[in-house]
Amino acid sequence: MSKNLAWSLALIGVAVLLLAGMLVLTNRDDSSAEVAREAPTAQLVREDSPRLSEGKDAVFVEFLDFECEGCLALYPVIEDLRDEYGDRVEFVVRHMPLHDNSVNAALAAEAAANQGEFEAMYQRLFDSVDQWGHQSTSQAETFAGYAEELGLDTERFRADVNDPATLARVEQSRQDGQAFGVAGTPTLFLDGQRLELTTVAALEASIEAAVND
Amino acid sequence: MTDTTSPAQVGTVPRQIGAVSARRLGALWIGAGLIGLTAAIALLVEKIELLVNPDYIPTCNVSPILSCGSVMTTPQAEAFGIPNPIIGIVGFTAVAVAGGAVLAGNGFRLWFWGATQLGVTFAVVFIHWLIYQSLYVIGALCPYCMIVWAVTIPLFWYTTVFSLRHLEGATPRWVRRCIEIATGYHGVILTVWVLVVIALIANRFWDYWSSLV
Repeated sequence: MSKNLAWSLALIGVAVLLLAGMLVLTNRDDSSAEVAREAPTAQLVREDSPRLSEGKDAVFVEFLDFECEGCLALYPVIEDLRDEYGDRVEFVVRHMPLHDNSVNAALAAEAAANQGEFEAMYQRLFDSVDQWGHQSTSQAETFAGYAEELGLDTERFRADVNDPATLARVEQSRQDGQAFGVAGTPTLFLDGQRLELTTVAALEASIEAAVND
Repeated sequence: MTDTTSPAQVGTVPRQIGAVSARRLGALWIGAGLIGLTAAIALLVEKIELLVNPDYIPTCNVSPILSCGSVMTTPQAEAFGIPNPIIGIVGFTAVAVAGGAVLAGNGFRLWFWGATQLGVTFAVVFIHWLIYQSLYVIGALCPYCMIVWAVTIPLFWYTTVFSLRHLEGATPRWVRRCIEIATGYHGVILTVWVLVVIALIANRFWDYWSSLV
């Protein structure tokens, strides 16, 4: 074997071992820290999942994509339901990005959440989807503009949007959704049960029943 | 100076020099050209699909991080005012055809090698700019683009090793020594180069990679 080949193979070997070792180490740290809390399996709601309200009687989870038509149609319904049941029901949002800019939108919402303004960004994104939806170019700048209008710290907002950890959170949400069989948006869960509903009245009746349970 | 080159070959490059022969280089050009061409065509097809139907989800959108949809829609994807895949299709076709010419022909003028060296040098500078943009500005990896990165680096390196051998004997001793090391350890240098890029990718998206294991 020539020196050239031998050295090349040795370097590749070292790199593979190093990478594998680091991955194993990272994961062991993670699991040892997480064992106390919860097994690292799929969860419908995570501690860091954004909440729109903090009620105690029922948990309502919506898997959404800020760019999806169905989610936009459901948005005012959810707003009404939050008005009525927000004090008793925990409304949780999970991301299931399926469109061009929905990852960017989800990142913007998460970055706003880091500054305690998830709800404002959530509303802003749905209210102005006409401006940014169904564009083939990245709307990240538009979202940064929204952050500024909402009075957020834009430096921090941009840093959070670009932080791989934010993206990992969105990805985690998507993976959780897939594990629970979520294939489209919006998909709703009430107290862990998937809702298959056709009318607003039926949705409201389900929530009413869950609250009085 | 004249003792290293036989008079019959003045003005052309000898067909067999050191580690990289013209035949091997020609074969590499064909292989790398065809792989790069395939990736560029795939990207252009996805881009057209996306233009026709903004809701189209490209086949290479594996996850928020492994996604060409978000990369294709950035300004960096049209760095020279036309979509990058068009540059790729033209460039890689030229490389493959030049490779065929090297295998079929019987020696070329110096300017032919000079022109290809110029072409692959442009390519390698361009893709490193794209790697930087993809990792640190866009924050996503597009699988087809990574195929292009992967073929362009060896394409540039072995063309350069071939060109360097031509300079042997015509330069100061220390330069000759550097060239000898570079050509003698061509595989080691290429391996280190590729491993550095892999390390940067691993480091930038570490949270994501460790979530996969």
